[in-house]
This record gives sequence, C-alpha cells and structure tokens, in this order.
Amino acid sequence: MKKLFYNLSYFIKEAKTTIKLNAMSNFFSFLSTGLIFFILAMVISGWWISNQVVAAIQGEAEISVYYVERIDNIGAAQLVERIKGIDGVRETRLVNESEAYRRMVEVLGKDARVLEYFDENPFSPFIEVKIQIEEMSAVLRELGTISGIDYVRDNREILDKIQNIAQILKVIGYLVITAVGITTLVIISHIIRMGINDNKEQINTLRLMGAPEGFIGFPFLLEGLTITIGGGVLASALAAVALNYVYAQVAGPLPFIPLPSREDLTSNLIVLIMSLSAVLGIAGSIFGLTSAKRN
Amino acid sequence: MIEAKGVFLRYSEGTMALKNINLKIEAGELIYITGPSGSGKTSLLKLFMGVEYPTEGALEVLGQSMNKNQYAKISQLRRSIGPVFQEFRLINGRTALENVILGMRFLDIPSGQLKVNAVNAIKKVGLEHKAHSLVENLSWGECQRIAIARAVARKPALILADEPTGNLDKDNALNILELLTSFKDKNTAVVITTHATHLIERDINARYIQMSKGSINYERLGIAINEETIL
Repeated sequence: MKKLFYNLSYFIKEAKTTIKLNAMSNFFSFLSTGLIFFILAMVISGWWISNQVVAAIQGEAEISVYYVERIDNIGAAQLVERIKGIDGVRETRLVNESEAYRRMVEVLGKDARVLEYFDENPFSPFIEVKIQIEEMSAVLRELGTISGIDYVRDNREILDKIQNIAQILKVIGYLVITAVGITTLVIISHIIRMGINDNKEQINTLRLMGAPEGFIGFPFLLEGLTITIGGGVLASALAAVALNYVYAQVAGPLPFIPLPSREDLTSNLIVLIMSLSAVLGIAGSIFGLTSAKRN
Repeated sequence: MIEAKGVFLRYSEGTMALKNINLKIEAGELIYITGPSGSGKTSLLKLFMGVEYPTEGALEVLGQSMNKNQYAKISQLRRSIGPVFQEFRLINGRTALENVILGMRFLDIPSGQLKVNAVNAIKKVGLEHKAHSLVENLSWGECQRIAIARAVARKPALILADEPTGNLDKDNALNILELLTSFKDKNTAVVITTHATHLIERDINARYIQMSKGSINYERLGIAINEETIL
C-alpha cells in the first residue's frame, strides 16, 4: 500500500503517457463510452420516471363497491369499516348519491346537461375503495364473501394493463442496463489490451526486472478508469441538458403527469452514472489485463 | 549463488540449446562466459533469469530452484538480479534518470533513496550530464552505460550482462567491460557473456568459461581462453 502511494505519481504519469501514445483511439473510446453511458442514463431516467408515474397511478387504483338498496346509512358505515379491514385495502370512503351526481357533472363537463332530463338523481351511493394493485384479486375474493354487496366495479382490465406496463418497463430496464454494462466492459477491456500490446516491450522489460504484475498493470487500470470516468462525466453533462429539455417540454403542457423532481432525478442519475463508470472501468481494465496476460 | 547440475535446455521447436551444464558460481565472483554466436551463452543467462527453465537437470539461483511452477518466486528472485540486456531494453519517451529509477520503483528501497541511488549510478557510468536526456537521443554506448546504471542502482546480488560489448568499438567495449567488472564485490557476482574474447583483459580473479554448441568446453581461473590458446 505504501509502495502504491509513493508510486502514485509514476502511475499517473505512465497512464498519461499511454493515453497520449494512442491519443486518437483513446479519444474515440472516450466518446463512445460517453455515448453508451448517455444512452444508459436516458434509459434509466425513463425507467425511473415511468416507475414513478406507474406508482402514482397504482396509488390511485381503486374499485367501486355498490351495496343493496335496503342498507341504510348506519349499515353502509358498518360495511365501510368491514371493507377497511380487508388486507390490501388502503383507504375506504362512502360516496353518497349527491357526490356521485356532482362527480359525473365534472366528468361530463358541457355534456352534463343530459343529466337534467332525469327527474331524480339516477346515481346510487357506493363505497370508494383504494387498494394495493397487486392484492386486487384477494380483495375481490374477500368482497365476494361479504353480504349486502350488490356489485363491484373493479376496472380490472385497466389495472391489469398498468401492472403489465410496469413489469415490461422493469424488464426492458434490466435488459438495457445489462447490455450497456457488457458493451462497456468489452470496449474497455479492448482498449486496455490495445494499450498493453502497444507497450509489450516495456511490460516485458519490467517483468524481466521482477516488477510485480500489480505494478505493471496499475497504469493500464488508471487508463481504463480515466476513459470510463471521462465518459461518465460526458454522459452526465449530456443527460443533465437532455433532462432539462425534456422537463421543459413535458412539465408545462402536461402538468397532470406526476414527474419526479428534476433536481433529484439529475443528481441521482449523476451519482449512478459516475459510480457505474468507475466500477465498469475497473472491471473492464482487470478483464483486459487478465486476458492480455493469458495471451 | 548459482548451481547447475546436469542442466539441459531444449526449446519448444526442438533445438537443444544447452547440454549437461554443471556450474557453480559463488558470491563475489567475476565470470566471463565466452564462445561464438549460438554457443549457448544467452540461453544460459536466460536460465539464470528464469526466462527459460531447464528441460532436464537442476538449477538453483540465489537459493531459488528454477522451475516453471515457481513463477511468483522467480519474479521475486529477479529483483535481486541486475540484468544488462543485449539490446538494452531502455524505455523510450523517458529520460535516462527515469529509466534508472523505474528499475527500482518496485524494490524495497525508500522513496527518498530512489533518486539518490539513480544519480549515483549514473555518475558511476560517467553520464551525469545526460541524466535528463531522453534515452532515444543517446548514442549506442551511452544507452549501454545507462542500462548498466539501471542494473547496478538496484544493488543486486548478481549482475548478468549479455553481450555488453556487442556493436561497440574497441575502446568503448573495453570501457564497458572495465565498468562492469568494477561492480564486483564480496556480495555481488558479475557474469558477463561475450564472443569478443580478444577484448577481455587478463584478470587473475576472474573465471573464464568457454562454451561451444551448448556445452562448457573449458573453465579456467585467472587465464582468458585466448591467452591460454596463445600460451
């Protein structure tokens, strides 16, 4: 460790020399790594945003429970309490006829005039039940066992679709992260092997003088790390600009989309990309060094 | 320090490079290994460095048995050797001083001592005025001296110089041999290979080994082969 510390300036100088010796190819490697990380950043931010939107929509997942007419207000209140006790139910609320009517007026807007043709309020009271979407089947099963319930409107089709979208997004996210990770590893390990090949003579000389493999390999590890961290910085800058633009385009015209805070998203993304670039840089360099040593 | 018992070396393509080498080198000895090109001098040094391994027989260098399975230990052993390569193997793009320091960076030498050792070694080879020159700008003879400085700055137990006089004119070659032999002391053995036997000055304390076709022909103390031939 002590040796590593006092040789640090030598390692940095060696890494700089190696980068300079292959300036053009290293520059393109830096650009391509930056672009790969940028694509990854965009996929991850898209994933985070959609997860947040899906979670927000899931949070609003609700079913409407209509009860038989003979049940009076006290019976309805008891029913509300009973439903509240079911596992997977987050919130219950009794919606009386007038509120149901008012909501429909809001939904119909200008077309609400059609309701004026009714002599009496055509809507029935019901219980609004917010549920955990993944517990929907169990909740519906439990509701089926309660007497006094006339009909349950479960919006199952829509809720199932939301759940499927969330699953698909998750799978796509994992696939893209894996693909980008493997690509970066391969690129970096090739860069390192190229550097090792260009410095074969020097490496052999050091080996003949008894230099440990760690001493020989460390400058190449620094080279790989510099390129990936450089790529990470480039990707982070591009991602910050892109997110700024996307938020400006989406947040104004589509205010109802529950986007996460841009600052939080950007800072989390930068931390993630920089950590990934460091980890992939080290892993790619070690992979490159190991395979070069094998050959 | 070095002990070879019935050592044979056959290269993978089938060439028998060394045959039945029996040799013992003690600390503080000066050894000249002579012989024409292809006689096995460089192969013998390769065995001492752990670049090749005996295909038969037993070889010990500085107490380390030299065989393929001991790579990590042989790598450590090389840290006690000061190699002077035939083609110098200096690292381009670095100055003479940086090259000499680089040969010591991974040894147990305190960081503050690295530059002191390097400067002293460069002074000994008479090139202090070239310490900050890039090695690619040095002449052949100067590169040879820097290669020697890199080897001796490591304060090795064994200096192995492979054809250090190759491509040098007579005066420079004599200077290099004189320089190399000056590093022999009670703890350091110096082994020099050369095909230029006419350049070797008679040294009563030196041992002369003549090789031919992979075998040791003669081994004499204090008398160079060419002198013996003349006598």
